[in-house]
Amino acid sequence: MTPRPPRFFLHFLRWYCREDYLEEMEGDLVELFEKRAGQNLSKARRQFGWDVVRGFRPRNLGFKLSLSNLTFMLRNHLTIALRVFRRDLSLTSINVAGLALSFAITLLILQYARFEFSYESTHPQASQIMRLTMDYLDGNTVVTQDCETYPPLGPTMKASLPEVEDFTRAYSLDRLLIKVGEETFYEDKGYAADPAFFDFFHYPLIEGSIAGAFLKPHEVILNESTARRFFGRTDIVGEVVQILHSEGELGLKVVGVMPDCPPNTHLPFNMLVSYPTMTASFGEKDENWNGNNTFTYIMLRPGTQEEAFQVQLEEFNKKLVAEEKIENERVIAQAMEDIHLYSHKTFEAEPNGDANSLFFLLLVALLVIVSAYVNYVNLATSRSVERAKEVGIRKVIGSTRSQLIGQFLFESFLVNVLAAIMAVGLIWLGREVFLELTDLGADFAILSDQVFWLMLVGFVLLGVFLSGLYPALVLSGFAPALVLKGKFSRSGKGLWLRKSLVIFQFAVTLILLTQSFIVYQQLNYMREKELGVNIDRTVVINGPALDSLQKRFVPFKQSLIQQPQIEGVAISGTVPGLPVSDMNTTTGIHLADELNPRNNNFYLTGIDSAYLSLMEIKLLAGENFQAGNLKGRNIIVNEEAIRQWGLQSPEEAIQKTVKFWGRKWQVVGVIQNYHHESGKSAHVPMIFYYFDEFSEYASIRISGGEVEESLALIEQTFESHFPFTPFSYFFLDQRYDEQFKADLQFQKLFNLLTGFAILIACLGLFALASFVIHQRTKEIGIRKIIGASTRHIMVLLTRDFIQTVMWAIVIGLPLTYWLAEFWLTRFPFRFELNAWVFVLPALAVVLLAILSLSVKTLKTALANPVDSLRAE
Amino acid sequence: MKAYSIGDFEELVLLTVAAQHDQAYGVSIHESLEEQLAKAVNISAIHVALKRMEEKGFVETRVGGITAQRGGRRKKFYVITALGKSVLDRKYEVRTSIYKRIPKIFFGS
Repeated sequence: MTPRPPRFFLHFLRWYCREDYLEEMEGDLVELFEKRAGQNLSKARRQFGWDVVRGFRPRNLGFKLSLSNLTFMLRNHLTIALRVFRRDLSLTSINVAGLALSFAITLLILQYARFEFSYESTHPQASQIMRLTMDYLDGNTVVTQDCETYPPLGPTMKASLPEVEDFTRAYSLDRLLIKVGEETFYEDKGYAADPAFFDFFHYPLIEGSIAGAFLKPHEVILNESTARRFFGRTDIVGEVVQILHSEGELGLKVVGVMPDCPPNTHLPFNMLVSYPTMTASFGEKDENWNGNNTFTYIMLRPGTQEEAFQVQLEEFNKKLVAEEKIENERVIAQAMEDIHLYSHKTFEAEPNGDANSLFFLLLVALLVIVSAYVNYVNLATSRSVERAKEVGIRKVIGSTRSQLIGQFLFESFLVNVLAAIMAVGLIWLGREVFLELTDLGADFAILSDQVFWLMLVGFVLLGVFLSGLYPALVLSGFAPALVLKGKFSRSGKGLWLRKSLVIFQFAVTLILLTQSFIVYQQLNYMREKELGVNIDRTVVINGPALDSLQKRFVPFKQSLIQQPQIEGVAISGTVPGLPVSDMNTTTGIHLADELNPRNNNFYLTGIDSAYLSLMEIKLLAGENFQAGNLKGRNIIVNEEAIRQWGLQSPEEAIQKTVKFWGRKWQVVGVIQNYHHESGKSAHVPMIFYYFDEFSEYASIRISGGEVEESLALIEQTFESHFPFTPFSYFFLDQRYDEQFKADLQFQKLFNLLTGFAILIACLGLFALASFVIHQRTKEIGIRKIIGASTRHIMVLLTRDFIQTVMWAIVIGLPLTYWLAEFWLTRFPFRFELNAWVFVLPALAVVLLAILSLSVKTLKTALANPVDSLRAE
Repeated sequence: MKAYSIGDFEELVLLTVAAQHDQAYGVSIHESLEEQLAKAVNISAIHVALKRMEEKGFVETRVGGITAQRGGRRKKFYVITALGKSVLDRKYEVRTSIYKRIPKIFFGS
């Protein structure tokens, strides 16, 4: 049987080809196909299709393509659009620039938001994974929420709840001192994990295999960059790294190398140690229901109902309480995908993002882009007088309304496309500043991201329809007879809409301005707040990792103190500026004679006798620790602690007895509350006990003079007393400031957005004003001839707009007040809202409005009336 | 005499039509051209060239009989006209006369 050419193409050919050519063309193509089919059928079919497509050209068509008509129309639209643009070049450029700017800003903010929302998306199982956390209770109220859980929790839950398919723990190992060959390294991001960890988190190993790994103690997996840091290469399976810890050196065998963690995970780390190592060498017990120091993740069986699981969890809690494994606590589960944006508990693995701030930024970005669309609508409709005659003529010639709408949409499309092109340029220029502001890292993809371009196209289309449709409908709706007779007047309705749009824009401007002012004031207030502790010129150094070296602290301190530039040295378990979670926490500490004890969470840390005076923490009552004097039984507490115990004055607390950690303690001193973390957070109840081992931190106050020199001296002294220990240090004031990094970053981003929003609103007002004024040129000329003064005309021209702006203020102020109150509620220490916070931005808005108007009004008011009246 | 314009590709097609006198049609021209030029030629290009030359009066057509091949479609044969032949003659003349004026050029040994 002879092969047949593809039917589809044959039909296509017959459809398009003109009658008198068809016979020849079809015949030739089929003959050619038959000839080729003898050699290679599928190739022949392809070639046939291609020949048919190539034959699709105007000459061969059996019908007239109305293409020429369409192109003619488009060309005409383009010509008219370009003429309109050229006529009002400055207005058009303002329009395009405003749109471009807001496209750029909104797209960047969206990229940032997409990144924030993308957390855990690299782990395919993420939606099934929950993290278990602990709630500390006082009766029914939750006192503290803690991310870390007890080691046996995961195994117990897997054994007793059928919904739980598997669990993994991630036990934080911080400040590990690691020795590879002769080199030592500090490693802060290590976790001990169960074998199931790799079923939860998607990290396919680069070297080695996960099968059978992590069941035995003393195994370790490094990520790629850490492998390079330690060994300078990645093919290190079978090598050994040494951990230096209190009991000497501990060898861990490398069983694998994994890729580096992506930036969008709440649990980044550099090394994983097999969990059995914890029990074998770190003194952790399998049945430890006292110390909660590990993250626990569980995987739910597919199809598990959320509510059903919560009920099971409640039962599980009751069981734990009944078995006296936990008391005044409960285990809750949170979806892993929610951790980054919604979890703000103590002991989080990393500082998390904040959904509220993110939504706030998104809202502002939305306002910015709406503002730019509003400008377009305003300008396009206010131009209607000029376009009315054109519309009338077009209609008389025979244009339909839909054709006119098409024309105006085309103009809007042109403006939006120009803006989009400019926006890409702007983003390219501003990407580095943006990446720095948002802390996204230099290799974050913006322009090479596919979704970015989709969003850009989306914005253009949205812009065309949102901002283009209304003017198109208005402009195309003119009755030709009326317009051409010259009986056209601006419709009151359109004016009303324009005014409300301006009111909207300026209300938004006012709100943004006030909010950024308030954010600024609050941040300043918190940063400059009296801390109650002296953090100046204080170097904090980390203690040696080996216990055996700690006894060398006394001579170390002696030799430092002798130096004139060293004012003091003190030891403590933590230092101000570090998170309170760096301290120990214990719940339910109360006075020995308390009748109805509350179950609050207390923060405890050890300090030596030099600490209070070095940090300049004020003692309100009692005394400091006396070295050697009953030091093991005395504590110093802060005001917040005695408040929680219900005591009225600091003096009352002295000599009171409290019980915790299985023994009695006596209060010997009460200190004034100071901001341990920063001015951001509320005071927490703190208890200091005596502790003089240099295992965590030593704070060194240096006197004036060269800081570098003193630092070098400290390092030198440190190294001579503590060999094999890397010298690591930080400055206390810098650590304090770092806590505001996220806030400052938010503030900068927010200020920038506000600035752009204001700019866009002012551009809009300027453009609108110049247009309206342009229309009144003759009127003003006549007024001047009759005798109006320049001032008079200025007032006349400005009054309308200022009235509109005033309306914006009247509407915006209550809104912004409400927003400010809402925003400030999350700060325990907030500055006093006063009238100035609202009056100043309102004045600024009026001033900005007058400024953007004055350029045009002044020029018009000063113009010689002869010029405006001469031409008719 | 009016200078009749003819494109390079058209000229090649017209030469082929003349060479296959009275028996030239789309596929035969295609075959010959691909062979002579030693490269792929698209049949649509040949069709277009033929149509244009027909409009210019360089070729005439006649229709062949029905066969079982070609899906039962008849062939359209192209025959060169006197005008077409004279255009080819003129082209040939111009080329050869210029070619003959080329001196003996040596490119090294």
